Amino acid sequence: MSALIKLQDVYKIYSLEDVEVPAIDGISLEINQGDFVALIGPSGSGKSTVMNLIGCLDTATKGTIHLGSHNIQHLSESDLAQIRGKQIGFIFQTFNLIPSLHALDNVALPMLFQHIPKSARNKKAKKLLEQVGLADRMYHLPNQLSGGQRQRVAIARALINDPEIILADEPTGNLDTKTGEEIMKLLSSFHRQGKTIILVTHNPALTKLANKVIRMKDGQIMGG
Amino acid sequence: MNLDHVLIAVHSIRHRKLRSWLTVVGIIIGVAAIISLITVSRSLESTIQQQFEQFGANRIIISAKGFQGPGTMSQGLTTEDVDTIQKISGFKYVVPGLFRSAEVGFHGETGFTLIGALPAEQYRDFYADTGIELDRGKMIQEGDTHVALIGSRVAADMFGKEMGVGNKIIINKVNFKIIGIMKEIGNDHDDNQIAIPLETAREIFNEPERVDTIIAQVKSGADIPSLQHKIERELERKRGDTNFQVLTATQILEQINQVLGVMQVVLVGIAAISLLVGAIGIMNSMYTSVLERTKEIGIMKAIGARNSDILQIFLMESGLIGLVGGLLGSALGTAGALALGSFSKGAGFLLLVKIEISVLLFGLLFALVLGLLSGILPAYQAAKLKPVEALRYE
Repeated sequence: MSALIKLQDVYKIYSLEDVEVPAIDGISLEINQGDFVALIGPSGSGKSTVMNLIGCLDTATKGTIHLGSHNIQHLSESDLAQIRGKQIGFIFQTFNLIPSLHALDNVALPMLFQHIPKSARNKKAKKLLEQVGLADRMYHLPNQLSGGQRQRVAIARALINDPEIILADEPTGNLDTKTGEEIMKLLSSFHRQGKTIILVTHNPALTKLANKVIRMKDGQIMGG
Repeated sequence: MNLDHVLIAVHSIRHRKLRSWLTVVGIIIGVAAIISLITVSRSLESTIQQQFEQFGANRIIISAKGFQGPGTMSQGLTTEDVDTIQKISGFKYVVPGLFRSAEVGFHGETGFTLIGALPAEQYRDFYADTGIELDRGKMIQEGDTHVALIGSRVAADMFGKEMGVGNKIIINKVNFKIIGIMKEIGNDHDDNQIAIPLETAREIFNEPERVDTIIAQVKSGADIPSLQHKIERELERKRGDTNFQVLTATQILEQINQVLGVMQVVLVGIAAISLLVGAIGIMNSMYTSVLERTKEIGIMKAIGARNSDILQIFLMESGLIGLVGGLLGSALGTAGALALGSFSKGAGFLLLVKIEISVLLFGLLFALVLGLLSGILPAYQAAKLKPVEALRYE
């Protein structure tokens, strides 16, 4: 089986006043379709940077990154936006919902950027909100929802364009243990439905659901 | 234009109600100021133009040098000068005028106002050509002596009791009989005047010779500039000096328009400054609004928004704010100009406010463009950011 995500000798180097700080120091890795990968490491280890590179939110200084058949180093900003919108779903630690839009519109927003008509958007967004248990919160603004509810809105949003890959960066970081577990269960159920999931965390307890754990330290992968 | 983008923009504007309204208020003030100032100054110009047209372009006005308007104690012109001009052919008539401020008594009350005097036999023609009409009573005519025509404001407002035809008034301690009340002319100066026969005025003011203004009505078809030169030449030859000025109505209008032009520049300048201040306010508020939503832009990019989507949403937002501000500002500016017009009427100064669609459109367009421009720069900057940088923004 060929890898869905393939990083080869990737560097991300920040230049700070003549000093070059490598956030990622030459890593290579492969992730297959249907994997549940946990990317674990202390803060500053470069795990979030790897996620940003895979998610096309940032570009590498050196090396090649393949997503499916695309070498994303060679894509335009507008093509990258297409990949982010269609192939990837993001779940962030701080939820990152648009505060002026209610839950339903937040969930439907990625479809809007794919120019899908409103009725189709709303239908799908409603279905997803029901799946994550928020049928009665569709018309609430983010600030009218609890942390766990916001994260579930964010998860519904991540799924709306049926992406192959879900990138979750410390998705339970801002939640209490019980709510965190519920969120992890949701992620796990999406994995069972065939999604490729990449979970970034510093919490070893969360890696038990993963079928593959990548440990990082100082911008490098520790012994695979 | 994408309707979905408009909706996102509308949500965002409504989400930040106070800030949006403050920005809109800034635009409203700027646009209202420029609309009302331009409207008022243009109305002023057209009002004066209209009054001059009423006055008639076929007139040459001769006055002593330094003459600034009726009532000035000008030196220099006498009845001899009137004779000199009368000898030149090409005029329908030549009217000498004498103007004095004098004490006026009525029913035991006294006050001061301007007394204007023309030869008794010339009132009918001169008033007809000037467009001054009687409200009631009759005109001064040949042979009349101690009679008076009363300006509309004098009749109505000067004394506790309204003046009527047949009443007695005392001018400079001499008894006069009111034979007519004038219709409102529309400017304070004329409406506050009392007209009496020149011969009587010469007696009561003890001015046997002096003339303040000579108005020469040109026969229709005559060459006004050449008559003007002829008057200048003849007066100079007879008098041996040049202490007089000969102006045509057109020249006076030009002079007034020059002054008005300066005023207009000043008014528009003030309006432009207020608009500039408003514009900077809008830009500032737009800039902070976009800046503080850098993270939101990062989120939108992370879920698939292209740079063009981001730009459209923010332009829609700032354009909408500009449009609403422009609409309300145009309405307010128009209301302000109309209010000033009716206020000026009450104050005895004629200002016919003319609402011009082109000025309104300008205000609207200006606000829209201003909104778009002040949104475009920060939106472009934000759209250009890498998503990861925008997301990191706090």
